[in-house]
Amino acid sequence: MPAIALQNFSYAYNHPKKVLDNITISIEKGSFSVILGPSGAGKTTLCLAVAGAVPHYFGGSSAGKVYVTGIHTQESSMQQLALTVGTVLQDYETQLVTMTVEEEVAFSLENLGIAPEEITQRVEEVLAKVGLTGYEKQAVTDLSGGQKQRLVLASVLATNPKILVLDEPTSALDPEGTHSLYKLLSDLNQEHGITILVVEHDIATVLPYADQFILLENGQLILNDTPENVLSFMAKKQIFAEAIPPLWQLKLMIEELTTRQFPPWHTEEEAITQLGKVLEEEARKNA
Amino acid sequence: MQKIAPITKLALTIFVTIWSIVLQSLPALTALIVCQLILLAIAKVGSSVYKGIASLFIFAAILAGMQYAINHDILLAAITASKMIAMTLVFFILLATTRMQDLSAALVLQCHIPYEYAFMLTAALRFIPDFLAESKAIQEAQACRGYSPQGNVLQRFFSYMAVIKPLVLKAVTKSETMALSLELRGFGSRKTRSFKNNVTLALQDYAMLLSMILFTSYLVIQIY
Repeated sequence: MPAIALQNFSYAYNHPKKVLDNITISIEKGSFSVILGPSGAGKTTLCLAVAGAVPHYFGGSSAGKVYVTGIHTQESSMQQLALTVGTVLQDYETQLVTMTVEEEVAFSLENLGIAPEEITQRVEEVLAKVGLTGYEKQAVTDLSGGQKQRLVLASVLATNPKILVLDEPTSALDPEGTHSLYKLLSDLNQEHGITILVVEHDIATVLPYADQFILLENGQLILNDTPENVLSFMAKKQIFAEAIPPLWQLKLMIEELTTRQFPPWHTEEEAITQLGKVLEEEARKNA
Repeated sequence: MQKIAPITKLALTIFVTIWSIVLQSLPALTALIVCQLILLAIAKVGSSVYKGIASLFIFAAILAGMQYAINHDILLAAITASKMIAMTLVFFILLATTRMQDLSAALVLQCHIPYEYAFMLTAALRFIPDFLAESKAIQEAQACRGYSPQGNVLQRFFSYMAVIKPLVLKAVTKSETMALSLELRGFGSRKTRSFKNNVTLALQDYAMLLSMILFTSYLVIQIY
């Protein structure tokens, strides 16, 4: 059973303009999936559909089905789905509603009616998980952008969700904060088996961690495949090609102009190593 | 003061307000103010609280000055200002020594106020710094586009609409996002919500409540 499954799902906030059009996707348990696409592609709506906010919160018209760990989202409530799906919205600061760090994490658990002793224990555990141990009494307003993002993550992780959905989580973070957040998400994915679904524009930052890319355009699913296949497709068909990382543009160009084929470049280091080998070979040939 | 239960501090707020209204002598009101300042000192509150209190004293002095200008009665002006200080100081004690989560827990568990209403109190206080930062950012953005309030009060008020309009729209957008995020976090999903912090009354709370009741009774007997 996949962690997330959309079957011919279509949605319109205002009928008849479809924001998502006949989407069929399957996301396996424990995968790290990234939703790509230009503005207005339907990325945020897809995230909200998985969280159950579409159509429960926004209304609108929908067709098809969305399953989350086998639960049909339209037949469940948002509150029930919140136990399975943890969602981090694009405007993450507005998700922080209490005064201090520990109160914020406890808030999610208090909503579920969990006993105070267990709340204390879980707050401690989850803050350690996101690297915020020692910040318990800190005021939320005094945290940096990266720390706030981690706190939001902690507050959704507190309920032990099986799936994490994040809508452009790094849009307000600096490169260091971005790297640190994705490292954390990767650890949660690898060590705790949490399925990650994230919307991201900066493909280079997610390449080291992602195992599935979902490409959307104008509300339609263009391709759902491995990162290397989706990037090659984007370059070949010139769909959202401007988002392809420069190193991958170089890789694909070399592959097109020569007969040489490189294995996927997940990091800059891999690219440097492989290019270094090629240059050494070329130098030997020329010598 | 931090160890006193929130409900006791809420009761203190109500009782001090009653005492401030009932007491008519300047020495008694001064004693009430001094007692409250001692409580704040014992509570070891931050310097920002004292800055707020200093502003309160300045405002009270202005109020007394205005009253004196109208009535030419310096005692009445001093009593009015003292009443205002005494009544307001207790809110400083309440807010500076009570965590908002504890206060909302007390309102829900002991005053039986629906959690949604108690939550509004904490959420409003949480977003004040964000709201001020947003206002500053909008003023700077508008200043970059030539916004410079000039003219009389009315003209300044209307020109300030250039800041108020986007601020209100942003606040509305934020509140919508917050509502969605609360739903996504299971807010209001269960009737039996739990609270991490213990807000039950201890021995010192009962002692404090009894003292307040006895003092109020004494005051009422003295007056009537």
